Amino acid sequence: MEFENIYTFLENKYGENVNKKIEYGCNFIMPEVNISKDLLNDLYKKFDFSYLVDIVGVHWPKRDKKFDVIYNLYSIGNRIRAFVKVAIIDEKIETVSDIWKSAIFLEREQYDLLGIEFKGHPDLRRILLPDYFKKHPLRKDFDLKDRSWFNDVDEQGLGIKYSK
Amino acid sequence: MAETGKLGEVVTINMGPQHPSTHGVLRIVLNLDGETIVDARPEVGYLHRGVEKLAENRTYHQFIPLTDRLDYVSSLSNNLAYCLAVEKFFDLDIPKRADYLRVIFAELTRISSHLVWLGTHALDIGAMTVFLYAFREREMVLDLFELATGQRLTGSWVRVGGVKEDVPEGFFDKAKEFISIFDEKIDTYEGLLTKNRIWVNRTVGIGKISKEDALSYGTSGPIMRGSGIKFDLRKDQPYSVYDEIDFEVPVYEEGDVYSRYLVRINELRQSNRIVKQAIDKIPAGPVMTSDPRVSLPSHEDVYEKMEALIRRFYIMSKGFKVPKGETYASIESTKGELGFYIVSDGESKPYRLKIRAPSFVNLGALLVMTKGYMLADLVSVIGSIDIVLGEIDR
Amino acid sequence: MGLIEHKFSENILTTKVDGLINWARSSSLWPVTFGLACCAIEMMCLGASKYDLDRFGIIFRASPRQSDAMIVAGTVTRKMAPVLRKVYEQMPDPKWVIAMGSCAVSGGIFDTYSTVQGVDEVVPVDFYIPGCPPRPEALLDALLKLKDKIKEDNIIRR
Repeated sequence: MEFENIYTFLENKYGENVNKKIEYGCNFIMPEVNISKDLLNDLYKKFDFSYLVDIVGVHWPKRDKKFDVIYNLYSIGNRIRAFVKVAIIDEKIETVSDIWKSAIFLEREQYDLLGIEFKGHPDLRRILLPDYFKKHPLRKDFDLKDRSWFNDVDEQGLGIKYSK
Repeated sequence: MAETGKLGEVVTINMGPQHPSTHGVLRIVLNLDGETIVDARPEVGYLHRGVEKLAENRTYHQFIPLTDRLDYVSSLSNNLAYCLAVEKFFDLDIPKRADYLRVIFAELTRISSHLVWLGTHALDIGAMTVFLYAFREREMVLDLFELATGQRLTGSWVRVGGVKEDVPEGFFDKAKEFISIFDEKIDTYEGLLTKNRIWVNRTVGIGKISKEDALSYGTSGPIMRGSGIKFDLRKDQPYSVYDEIDFEVPVYEEGDVYSRYLVRINELRQSNRIVKQAIDKIPAGPVMTSDPRVSLPSHEDVYEKMEALIRRFYIMSKGFKVPKGETYASIESTKGELGFYIVSDGESKPYRLKIRAPSFVNLGALLVMTKGYMLADLVSVIGSIDIVLGEIDR
Repeated sequence: MGLIEHKFSENILTTKVDGLINWARSSSLWPVTFGLACCAIEMMCLGASKYDLDRFGIIFRASPRQSDAMIVAGTVTRKMAPVLRKVYEQMPDPKWVIAMGSCAVSGGIFDTYSTVQGVDEVVPVDFYIPGCPPRPEALLDALLKLKDKIKEDNIIRR
């Protein structure tokens, strides 16, 4: 099974709502956000992409569509890798944790670091940063060395004051 | 409203970040019904250092020492994954000698990391002798690293376009000495553990994960291979010179802690075989590409030609520029599939860098592997997943 | 010493009470395991076969209530800092803290939004060991100097 056959099937089904690109050795499929979940379901059921490798979120503050969500899929039977790139306007997108269970942790991480909300996720809360932290560090308007939030909360009443 | 299990109320206890068996700062919130586990939720983030944000403020070359500190027991293979991703932007011509050296060091780090796994896993279950034996062999591997890179643990030796410098003389003799004694040491470890009644009782049938679950949860590496799925990136999507070397991929069907133990012990034997073949086949030649987009000009040119001087100054002070676009590269690291997804906007610093850490995704399957088992089995299961918190939290 | 020396038979030793207590404390120093990141692997190498720590009387204990030293090995993040402080407060007096590695000393290469820049913002530190990671011999050097420091402590005469 080659990437061209997969793309031909998807183009026949979705028409104009999907685009493709092959860049630096990686196959990209770019659907519109309203058909993205159906497309991912098709890839899972018909082409045996049963291994979801990664979910990446990227923040583009100067574009209209402010966030990109990229799904990295691999098919072990066909030995082919495909990337599905979806551009979203408001920060919401449907979850895929009902198709692939690895998305449970991966989507929580992108919510924590970038603030993208995944509708329908069973347990959407912060995973890497503490719960009382309000902002999203990987956005472009957050400074790398911003440690001003250290003294906001004193857990367990220990009386530690951070000076740096 | 308290939940009631078969033995009474369900109790919530905390297996905290500071614990001798959690292999780092992992916190697990357990719901127990007597001694049986009803729910196990891992809480991570106690070692989150902000590496992905730091990558957006460092040049591509300056990020290499930071990749070492991700999976700190097998650092040279992290360097390799990152450099493969950056090299995909340029479609470089890596010299053969550099490729063979990269493979030798990747397999030596696999041996070193599996020895740490063996020692700590056996120590958690109670076998202290194996810990001392495994670390004794690991010291020999660390001596080899120190000879080539100058550092025992975090080498930072692989560069974009090749490796930093050639290995000193005497390296291959010392490596051959290590390879010749290592096979019988693996026989010693197997003699102590594989047919040992205590080990078998504590690991067979514990922590089972089915084939479908292993695939759906995205667990790569020895967990997938211990559940019957034959998937190894060194064979399916070969990188470097793995397609010229002959080795096998061990696969077992049961899906429990014992099968994963057997997978890793066999991987130790196969790694030894790969290093032996690579040392026999390695050609002579340069160790760094001469492509002007990423590499520095030679010293003689810098002293004589103006363009070479300017190019050297530019690459050293600002860093080389990477063309616009996005790409991904991954390797079969000791824990699973380690990948780097790089988004570049044409500057000398990445726009976004995402690290696909195998231990992070493997940890998502913890509940499936421990539900219904006893509290003491949790320690065996965590040891068999083989997590490294530096990778999970980044 | 002084007045009562050489007044007893050959197999009785005389010393100061301080000297006896300090010798006992320094010869069996039990640290609590607080390995966080990469430096913890070097600490484990120190306790293993090649550089053996058991010959100095140093055994790693899991519980802070049974230990008298803490070796902070690795990066301390803001989420982990209260845990560190709680473990320190659970240790009984006298206690000593060694900060191992550049991350524990001053934050290391991680000058970011979530790393505490130095463990001395959270607990008082006796010894600082730079290095990334420091060699096991460097940590051994610090432990032996800690033993010398304990031997000079004044308890009865405070």
